[in-house]
Amino acid sequence: MFVALISGPITMNSKLNKVRSKPFNATRVPTFFTFALVCIFILYAPMLPLVFYSFNSGSSLSLWEGFSWRWYQAAWQNSHVQEVTWRSLYLAFQASLYSTILATMAALGTTRTKKYKGQNLIYALINQPLMVPEVVTAVALLICFASIKVATGYTGMAYLVLAHTAFCIPFAYLPIRARLENMDLNLEHAAADLYASPWRVFRRVTLPLLFPGILAGAMLAFVISLDDVVITEFVKTAGQDTLPTYMLGQLRRVLTPEIHAISSVLLAISVTLVGLLFLMSKKES
Amino acid sequence: MKKIKLTSLYSSILTVGILASPGAFAAGELNIFNWGNYTNPELVVKFEKTYDVKVTVTDYDSNDAALAKVKAGGHGFDIVVPSSNYIPIWISEGLLIKTRPDQMENFGNVSSDWNNPDWDVGRHYSVPWVWGSVGNVVDTSMYKGDINTSAIFLDPPDELVGKINVPPEMSDVIGMALYYVGSEPCTSDKAALKRASEVLTLAKPKWLSQGYGIIEKFAGRDLGASLYWNGAGLRARQKNSDVRFGYPREGYILWMDNVVVLKDANNVENAKLFQNFIMAPENAAMVSNFAKYANGIDGSSAFMSSDLTEAPEVQIPAEHLANGHFLDTCSPAVNTMYTAIWTELLK
Repeated sequence: MFVALISGPITMNSKLNKVRSKPFNATRVPTFFTFALVCIFILYAPMLPLVFYSFNSGSSLSLWEGFSWRWYQAAWQNSHVQEVTWRSLYLAFQASLYSTILATMAALGTTRTKKYKGQNLIYALINQPLMVPEVVTAVALLICFASIKVATGYTGMAYLVLAHTAFCIPFAYLPIRARLENMDLNLEHAAADLYASPWRVFRRVTLPLLFPGILAGAMLAFVISLDDVVITEFVKTAGQDTLPTYMLGQLRRVLTPEIHAISSVLLAISVTLVGLLFLMSKKES
Repeated sequence: MKKIKLTSLYSSILTVGILASPGAFAAGELNIFNWGNYTNPELVVKFEKTYDVKVTVTDYDSNDAALAKVKAGGHGFDIVVPSSNYIPIWISEGLLIKTRPDQMENFGNVSSDWNNPDWDVGRHYSVPWVWGSVGNVVDTSMYKGDINTSAIFLDPPDELVGKINVPPEMSDVIGMALYYVGSEPCTSDKAALKRASEVLTLAKPKWLSQGYGIIEKFAGRDLGASLYWNGAGLRARQKNSDVRFGYPREGYILWMDNVVVLKDANNVENAKLFQNFIMAPENAAMVSNFAKYANGIDGSSAFMSSDLTEAPEVQIPAEHLANGHFLDTCSPAVNTMYTAIWTELLK
């Protein structure tokens, strides 16, 4: 069936030379819908027990004992957990903001230009966090920041923000770069032809066209920062636990469905946020 | 237009975030670095109110992680709670202040069993937090025999094969194996280490897992036995009434977590106040009730919850007392051999 679909247009082409062969469209493959459903199920099904057991009236993570809101109430009253969650979100937000800005600049500087000396080195440097094991980055940052902390006495959140921004850059960079390479240069040339200054061209033509890539990069960077354990665990100082490091600290002790409740709330927030962004970008197109 | 909406969305989140972060208006500060989920929030609130101090608690999940973080510097912590076999390392690295808990007001409450331990002679640095043991958590509905032996996980009976968990704790597991083969932990006797390594390698195929989080598994009857800490054994019995805690007669491990003050602490006076604070019986009881382990302070049992004071997991029965030993700090040479055995085992 697969072969017939691909060779179909080709045989048609030889018979009727006027007909141009259609490009391969994945959504037209008959089993596409089934495969898509299976993939979505495999990706998201593990989250369903999480939400389900957050309503558990008992304290077990896997034995259902009845419906109850108690873990949501416990999370609501647990100021420590709320503090670490806010810190996590705040950190992820800042990291995604700064890393997306830097990644956009990096992408603009490394694509659609003639090959210049040192371009490969720059590409490797930008993507270094992807290639070096996370523990190595974490220990290097620990040593580097420790000496700065001792020298200046400043122990605020800036180190965490810097660290997160640094390793989120490649995650923001790659989608933006991909989008840039697929963009049509003619629109920018047309704008320039119409007497628009380079900055105006960038602001009114390039950036709006680039926006889906930037959005994808920002969201990816946000998720990666929210998720990070190793680097945060090494770089954090007193009172700077994030949600993942808080959960790691509980590993050898007791995990209760309170963690499920917090995760479900985070899930609800992300779904709402993504939905809102989707609606907003749909309105534009 | 959309860009403006988004930037205003971003900036409003940023402002809310800044405003939402808590401010400190207390007279002083204290930064505690402790095991995860180990510090009673009510104890913290009580300390904050008594001394007008703002307390932060940051978590770690292993002795090695805590040591690495503090050694690197710039950590901002005042208090750490390492285990007894690591305290000599902390002292010899010069990371601690001699706060002299033995001269503090509440020192008289420290039980005579714990006021002069090998790892901190005369208690010049540390104050007991909680202590416990490592033994066999067994679901007796699956196995009716003797649970007070290390053979449960080192030479398992047929009913338990394939249902055993052993936590990835190098010192505890190799230490118990050494006791089992008639030697003792931290020995440099290569023949004994070889025997222990063989016993472990033979037993490993009969284990189901090497992880944490066993309470859930016992509740769901997915595990028959596990080498684990006594507090978790107590919690597992509260979920599954067939669970019992066995004290291996070949030798089992005792441990104690102790509160120490760091040399580069910013709030030394508040840290000393905290050390004195937890030596009071009612506060030590608050520590115990939350962590579900015994503490080293006399008179605290009056304030402890009954599930702790009556639990055989926490109050070691007299017949097993002599077989419990604290782990020593092994020399680097022995540690290298341990690591070699452990790496082989984890493969």
